[in-house]
Amino acid sequence: MNTHPYLRAFLAGAFPPILVLPLVLTVFIVFRLVLQVPVPIERGIIFPMALVPSLFGLWNMLWMSSHARTHLPIGLHGALLPLVLMPFGALLATCLGILAIGAQGVVWFQAFHFPYTLIAPIFFGALVAYYLVWKYIVGFVNRVLGIA
Amino acid sequence: MNTHDEERIRHLLKAALPPIENTEPGNSGPARDLWPAILRRLDERPAPPWFDWALAGGLALFAVAFPATIPVFLYYL
Repeated sequence: MNTHPYLRAFLAGAFPPILVLPLVLTVFIVFRLVLQVPVPIERGIIFPMALVPSLFGLWNMLWMSSHARTHLPIGLHGALLPLVLMPFGALLATCLGILAIGAQGVVWFQAFHFPYTLIAPIFFGALVAYYLVWKYIVGFVNRVLGIA
Repeated sequence: MNTHDEERIRHLLKAALPPIENTEPGNSGPARDLWPAILRRLDERPAPPWFDWALAGGLALFAVAFPATIPVFLYYL
C-alpha cells in the first residue's frame, strides 16, 4: 500500500478526535438540552468539532514527513501539539466568550473557576494525555495503515 | 518461420512477461492475503512500559481530584 501516504497519515491523525466527538456531543445533549444546565457548552463545541480533527491530521502528516530526519517518537511528537493547540484554543475560547481571564484565575464555560496555580498542572495533564493518545491510538492506526 | 521457431518465441515471451491475470483492472491486488501478516506484526508489539501506566494513572487521579478540568480536556480533544 504505497499510494497516498499523506492522505492515510491525515486520516490516522484525525481518528482519535473523531472517535471522541460523538461522546462529547452526547454529553452536550444530555447536559444542555435534557438537564437544561445553564452553561454555554455549545460555543465550545466549535473548536473540537471543526478544528481539532484537522489539526491532528495535519500534525500526523508533519510527523510522517519529518520522521526520516528527526527520528522523533510519535508519542513525543504528539505531546508537542498542545504547545500549538492550547494558546490557539484559549484565544478562540476568549473570543467566543467561554474563557474569561481574571486577576485570580480563569473561568471556563462561565462556570468552572481555575486559579493560576492550577494552570501548569492542567497543561502538564494535557501533555500527558496527548502523549498517550498519540503513542497508543495514532501509533496503532499508523501501523495498521502502513505508515509507521 | 517454422513451427519450432514459433514455439520457441512463445516460450520466451511467456518467460519474459508477467502472468496477465494479475495485471487486469480490478484484479491487481496482492497474490496472497496480507492481513494475517499485519496482525502478526501488531501482536509483536511489547507491553506498555511502567511509566506509561504511571502517567495514565496520574492523569486519571488528576481528573478525579479536579473533575472541573474534564470539560477543558474534552474541549482540546
